[in-house]
Amino acid sequence: MKPNFTQKVTNWGNFPVVEKEMRSEDSFKKIKEFVLNHNEIIARGNGRCYGDASLGETIFSTKKLNKFISFDRLNGIIECESGVLLSDVLEIAVPQGYFLYVTPGTKFVSVGGAIASDVHGKNHHAEGCFSEYVIEFKLMVENGEIITCSREEHSEKFWATIGGMGLTGIILTAKFKLKNIESAYIRQESIKADTLDEIFSLFEESEKWTYTVAWIDCLQKGKNIGRSILMRGEHAFQHELPQDLAKTPLRLKKKLQPTVPFYFPGFVLNALTVKIFNWLYYKKQSKKEVKSFIDYETFFYPLDAINDWNKIYGKSGFIQYQMVIPKEAGKEGMKRILETIAKSGNGSFLAVLKLFGKNNLQAYNSFPLEGYTLALDFKVNSKLKKLVDQLDAIVQEFGGRIYLTKDSMSRSSLTNYLKNIRNSKFVSLQHKRIINNNS
Amino acid sequence: MIVLGSTSEVAQAFVEKALQEGEKFEKIYLFTSNKETTERFARHLDVKFLQQAEVIELDLTKEIDYNRFDHINSNVLFCAIGYLGEGTEEGLYDNKNTERIIGINYAKLVPVMNYFAHKFESRRSGTIIGLSSVAGDRGRQSNFIYGSAKAAFTAYLSGLRNYLFDKKVHVLTIKPGFMATKMTEGLPLNPKLTATPKQAAACIYKAFKKQNNVAYVLPVWSIIMMIIRNIPEFIFKKLKL
Repeated sequence: MKPNFTQKVTNWGNFPVVEKEMRSEDSFKKIKEFVLNHNEIIARGNGRCYGDASLGETIFSTKKLNKFISFDRLNGIIECESGVLLSDVLEIAVPQGYFLYVTPGTKFVSVGGAIASDVHGKNHHAEGCFSEYVIEFKLMVENGEIITCSREEHSEKFWATIGGMGLTGIILTAKFKLKNIESAYIRQESIKADTLDEIFSLFEESEKWTYTVAWIDCLQKGKNIGRSILMRGEHAFQHELPQDLAKTPLRLKKKLQPTVPFYFPGFVLNALTVKIFNWLYYKKQSKKEVKSFIDYETFFYPLDAINDWNKIYGKSGFIQYQMVIPKEAGKEGMKRILETIAKSGNGSFLAVLKLFGKNNLQAYNSFPLEGYTLALDFKVNSKLKKLVDQLDAIVQEFGGRIYLTKDSMSRSSLTNYLKNIRNSKFVSLQHKRIINNNS
Repeated sequence: MIVLGSTSEVAQAFVEKALQEGEKFEKIYLFTSNKETTERFARHLDVKFLQQAEVIELDLTKEIDYNRFDHINSNVLFCAIGYLGEGTEEGLYDNKNTERIIGINYAKLVPVMNYFAHKFESRRSGTIIGLSSVAGDRGRQSNFIYGSAKAAFTAYLSGLRNYLFDKKVHVLTIKPGFMATKMTEGLPLNPKLTATPKQAAACIYKAFKKQNNVAYVLPVWSIIMMIIRNIPEFIFKKLKL
């Protein structure tokens, strides 16, 4: 048996699938050798991005860079290798009264991936992106040298790498700040909205809340467009909690974790089933407003509760379509987007609406802009390209752009926003696709 | 806990599993031929579990100074040292390869194991866990040098278990089948027969708690190996395994 490192690789959307060389090492010396001996490398963490962002001719998996380096328990500063997952960080941090400042909708992304995508969360309007809390990271550049990047040291590389989609090098380790919490629970309010206007004004009046997000039923037409549920939350203080939770406020009870056992057949997910799901989801909450305490996992990572949920989309896979439209045009743009989706009949199982706050101008490769962002998932089928094209046209008209971490087929005028990343060593299939389409 | 072969992903996963399950160790002694990555693991244990660990260099291809191990005492020993080397086709007639495989998997390893077994015997308590291999269950044309060294190691563990039984020391032999580790990266392994280090660690921990004598990492391997062991030799010798 001779080693053959070529294998089928795909990200979370199971689309596209490529057959490329993938390697993983835990020794920095061997990583250097690997970098020097290969061309067109892209680093890949846990493969939780969607399209083709972490795929390349040669893939370096950071899975073996999974060690913690230090944890300053007094100041909440943690340092770890880049393949450590956010779930690993939470496992240590939460019982000690710390939480991630910024987390995306899954805790199964790697720390390196969180920096390369500069992930955002439900608190972007209040606390910005992941990068705000990154103190420094170590980056292996094209000649195998390891440089420390921070706001002061190699700051040019620091900012290019943030949101830079792995095109500046391989992130090896990172040091970042955590926030204090008193409990592992969130004080949540969820409010139903019947119209788009209502949900937008709910967002604006919830500006003081740390976390806000809305689930939106994107199959509704006419006057029902914008039917949605807004969820807003705060980390609960210990004294606020009901008695049974207040006893051990930083420990969650163990839950069962179901796994999707196989790829669902293609017909399972169609316009009708999505419609039923959305109807049930909306009706599940009978009151206009519900207040509750829920654990952080349910609040931040509802989908993580089901292992391998991506398999419900079948073998052909799915895409995530996430765009942002600047604030002033946001309402009009969202309305057009939702109308187009409803007309196409290509429903999204999960549509999430968020209001982004001001973007950090220094983090110029970061996706968020002040405005409205909508994330949708669509099953890959023959009609999808046409729909994406229609949606792209609207996003372009309103001056928006697409989140690279989830992109696999959007037009390059909306995805070609990275700067200072020109490098022939670190190249992804996504970047090549964008550059080639641009010419 | 004493860990021989600390860069092994299975050994590391086992240490983490034991600590997660609440096992207490005054100190963990990490023996390794690769100080850089093992020191990183030691720091990781300190951050994640507030567990003290000491890194000790051990190179089985060199002379060993046992005086350096005087202070080491524990009630669990986990040995994950193993070296696959070149397979039969590429490496059979390469003496260096053969000597290295036999040395690391058996000849040089057993004296180290004996050194600690002696300490366990004097304490009259503890568990010794040795990672052998299904390759030691029957010699096959593809890697029988490695297989024969592992067969010897299996026999050693079996004898040691017998010898230490009335001295209140338990010996557990683990026979992993395919595992997705550094040793097998890039090899075309059937995913249904391949355990991740985490899975392997969970199986081993269970066998450790149940005081099993011999355990296969994935249960399917006990069936596969039963079949392979029972194929009559006149047929077996013609097979391409």
